[in-house]
Amino acid sequence: MASTDDGGGAKPVGFDSLRRLKSTEPPLFLSPSPDLSQAARLASQYLFSSLKPFAPKSPFSQLLTEGFDAEQIWQQIDLQSQPLLLSLRRHVRHFEKNPEEIQKQFDLDRDRFGDSRKEETEDGDGDDKLVSREGNKSDGLESEGESFDEDEEDEVEEEEEEEEEEEEDGPDDGEMDNEEKGNADGVEDKFLKIKELEEYLVDDEEKEYGLKKEKKKRKRGEITDKDEDEDEEGDKEDEEDDEEEDNELGLMGLDDDDEEEDGSKMGTARYEDFFGAKRTGQGKKSQVFGGSDDLDMDDGNNNQKNNLSTHEKELEKLRSEIETMENANLEPKTWRMQGEVTAAKRPKNSALEVDLDFEHNVRPAPVITEEVTVSLEELIQKRILEGRFDDVQKPPTLPSRPPREKIELDENKSKKGLAALYEDEYVQKTGFISTALSFSDEQKKEASMLFKKLCLKLDALSHFHFTPKPVIEDMSIQANVPALAMEEIAPLAVSDAAMLAPEELFAGKGDIKEETELTKAERKRRRANKKRKFKAEATKRVTRKVQQNSVMNSAGGNDES
Amino acid sequence: MSSATVNGGEAGGGMDMDIEAAAVQAPTPAATNTVPFAQKPNFKPLKAHEISDGQTQFRKVPVPPHRYTPLKKAWMEIYTPIYEHMKIDIRMNLKARRVELKTRQDTPDVSNLQKCADFVHAFMLGFDVIDAVALLRLDELYAESFEIKDVKTLRGEHLSRAIGRLSGKGGKTKFAIENATKTRIVIADTKIHILGSFSNIKVARDSLCSLILGSPAGKVYSKLRAVTARMAERF
Repeated sequence: MASTDDGGGAKPVGFDSLRRLKSTEPPLFLSPSPDLSQAARLASQYLFSSLKPFAPKSPFSQLLTEGFDAEQIWQQIDLQSQPLLLSLRRHVRHFEKNPEEIQKQFDLDRDRFGDSRKEETEDGDGDDKLVSREGNKSDGLESEGESFDEDEEDEVEEEEEEEEEEEEDGPDDGEMDNEEKGNADGVEDKFLKIKELEEYLVDDEEKEYGLKKEKKKRKRGEITDKDEDEDEEGDKEDEEDDEEEDNELGLMGLDDDDEEEDGSKMGTARYEDFFGAKRTGQGKKSQVFGGSDDLDMDDGNNNQKNNLSTHEKELEKLRSEIETMENANLEPKTWRMQGEVTAAKRPKNSALEVDLDFEHNVRPAPVITEEVTVSLEELIQKRILEGRFDDVQKPPTLPSRPPREKIELDENKSKKGLAALYEDEYVQKTGFISTALSFSDEQKKEASMLFKKLCLKLDALSHFHFTPKPVIEDMSIQANVPALAMEEIAPLAVSDAAMLAPEELFAGKGDIKEETELTKAERKRRRANKKRKFKAEATKRVTRKVQQNSVMNSAGGNDES
Repeated sequence: MSSATVNGGEAGGGMDMDIEAAAVQAPTPAATNTVPFAQKPNFKPLKAHEISDGQTQFRKVPVPPHRYTPLKKAWMEIYTPIYEHMKIDIRMNLKARRVELKTRQDTPDVSNLQKCADFVHAFMLGFDVIDAVALLRLDELYAESFEIKDVKTLRGEHLSRAIGRLSGKGGKTKFAIENATKTRIVIADTKIHILGSFSNIKVARDSLCSLILGSPAGKVYSKLRAVTARMAERF
């Protein structure tokens, strides 16, 4: 069923089967049915054949389903569809960029459909054309072929340098297409193309020198194809047309120049090679602004986009990267790269987006865990048991000067009478008796005395080498206690200067001896003294008595007489 | 005695003679040329009781009713210094409710009578005998009296409050002033009597006046402290 013979009949069959598949319920697909599988095969064949004209480099002219596994059928479909998808994506992107090309595409499609229909009717021609087309495609350069390829070329160029090449794509493609068409019957075949070779050589040279051969080539191309001028290219083409006319004669010369340059590099270089052809008109600005290098690049790329190898692509990428970096360096730096930035110098809320790193001078808050709380509570309990609290104590304020004597007003009724008060005042004034000026003085004296006594006692207890304080002469009653007893009770340190001296106790003269110590002579002497004293006293008594008697007698005598 | 009579006679005679002389001399001035001038009389100092021509002097001190009983209680303490030391006769006129003082013949000084009168008067004002006795002993003590209305016109409760302020709680303010200024103060209703030396009376009076006018006791105390310190420094 699946054969090219039934080209006309297979189509409606396939369509019917497709429709049938679509109408079946999904659960029916779960159970195997030969009917559905057959329908599926037909449908897939139909789809395959209908997509085949659009699919690049599909090895199969039709889907082979008879006797093939599901897996194998799928592989065939995959083989066709993968490149087809890629190309479709490219087309879509291209159409995104250039909406006006959709219109053109429709026009071309209409033409092509007409052609394709013709081709289909003439199977052989169609096949040949298809083959040729496929052959073109299968050369590996996607930018070749006819109008269809034209789009692919556009997409490829866009991949490399999208913006700059938009304008140049159309005419270039047109050029190349026509040229290819022109040369299709000549030396070139699907492997070798003189045009490609030239372009490659020029591109290489351009890479070495940065010369603008490509522009000239482009001019040449445009000279040949003015029919396919596009509106976008109007300005540039005008310029180039002018110059082309000038250089028409030199076309061959240019070729020669090219050839010469291929051999010797700087020998026949001209002003135009380095500094570009003298251009007038509006387009100059855009060209000059773009930079000669860019234009060169553009030309080179435009002319050689067919021939770019991976290495060249890498170099292109590098160059573009370098360019962007240089441009970035020329611009002022972003706020992140400037040193100290205040809020006014950066856009609003921009610091939120950036991951700022700054020093945290604050210790991070402690994580409270069970162990921490338990340890704290233990500490608290221990402290409470010890009674050791870290209370804040006021520092002792040192008085800068001694505190003033505060006069206390006595609010009690004075015990002294007024007369006594004035009497005291008078006495003080005259200075007969020194009395305490005020109540506080008396108390002070008493207090100081008490404190001195206390200090004396403490010093006696504490000092290693105790020196007693000087004795203050004081009238006090001295107890005539035997020294031995005093020494026992009082501490050793207390001086016994306050006690009675021996001579105060007993004032004796000479050598004092006891009764037992006396010698006989001394005993006799003592007795003799004692007797003398007694006798003296006795005589005194007698004489006193005699005197008294005599007085009385005289008194009585007086009375008698 | 004889001399006294002579003196009296002389005095009387002198007086008579003076009168006579004046009378004689007035009509006949020309006839006294030959009569010599009388010699300047040489008089001995007068005794206390002779000042008033040998007449005794009296002082009468009325006794207010509220001091009647205290006088009765303290009579001997009053009587003894007056009679013994000042040598002034003193008696109480019960009918007239008066204390009467009279000079004796052996009263040494004229001013004794006045001192005794002041002493008794001070007692009548309300002072204690012990305090009043100072008047007898010291010359320069005085007793000053004034009324609250002399300082500020106060009526009703204000007056009562002022009196309360003057004495203080349990009399402590009054005692404070007394002790600080060495005076004695008696607050009798609206009358205030101060006993002391002149400068001390002044200080006490100032304190009392400030209390009457309304200053709090604390303020008065601070002033008193300053006064005390000053007085202590003097010695």
